Amino acid sequence: MKHITFSLLILTVWANAAQAACYADYKAKRDGPLRLHYGVAAIDGDCAVDAAADALLDRLSADDWQLLTVLGVFDDAGLEERKESAGDYYLRY
Amino acid sequence: MTTTSATESREIGNRIVVAGIAAIVLILAITAILLFMNLPDANAFNARVEQVFIENDLLTGNAEIKLLEILAQSGTAFSDTLSSYRFVIFVLLTFATALLVAAIAFLVMLIALTRRMSQIERKGIEVNSLLISRDQKSVYLNNFEFKLTKAAIETLSVLAEARMDDEVMSGAEIEGVISGRPSSDCDEAAGATRIKRLRDTLGNQMVSELLVKNIARKGYMLAINKDVIRMV
Repeated sequence: MKHITFSLLILTVWANAAQAACYADYKAKRDGPLRLHYGVAAIDGDCAVDAAADALLDRLSADDWQLLTVLGVFDDAGLEERKESAGDYYLRY
Repeated sequence: MTTTSATESREIGNRIVVAGIAAIVLILAITAILLFMNLPDANAFNARVEQVFIENDLLTGNAEIKLLEILAQSGTAFSDTLSSYRFVIFVLLTFATALLVAAIAFLVMLIALTRRMSQIERKGIEVNSLLISRDQKSVYLNNFEFKLTKAAIETLSVLAEARMDDEVMSGAEIEGVISGRPSSDCDEAAGATRIKRLRDTLGNQMVSELLVKNIARKGYMLAINKDVIRMV
């Protein structure tokens, strides 16, 4: 019993860790006048481009941004190299 | 049997003119519509910039994105120019329509005038003006001057006055007016003689002016173009 609880705990922690470590970089626009931005956002749940696109679409449209494309998903390792490019939009949405 | 009268052909001509003008307006309207549809949209530049942004994965730097935005803005500024072009094109098309319609109208007028001219030429002499000069004892028909005797001038003047009042005069009445006696006392034949003399002098001179010319000390010649002579 104790064994099972422990393994469940491990699983949860691992799942959490996996969730927290998922990020996506995307491109978005706003019309009239045309504004563009490249950003990095943390993704909850499924760590895939499609899921990231679904999640970002809502988050960005709340602020009047229109998602153009999701470039890819990555974990903590890829975070630092994109920080400079994303600028103001680093983990903003 | 089919016949074509002059009014009928004029009606057909009018219909052709209306159809031609309508066709011109229609063609230019279609041209305008196609032109305006094919002119680039004001947003075309923005769409292009957006496409460049999406297609280049490496285009993520802040500075590059700013540059793209500036490009898009200059494109938007250009689209204002484009709308002014649209207006210029519209004005030019309107001018073209007006000019073509005017050209058609003038062409038709020219054809009508030519037709009328040839009609007048066929009709021979048509009197546009009659000027009687009692002092010089001459009468001007159109611009031809004819010398008449005093009696003939009187006859012509009486006839001209009667014509102005839309009256028809008998020979006795003419003789009465000229001699100053009541027309009941006058002879019908006397008036007829006056008319005959007027016809003779005037007709003689008209024919010599228009047809049989007398060239001094040389002889006589027909005063017509030799191309128009035909023998049957």
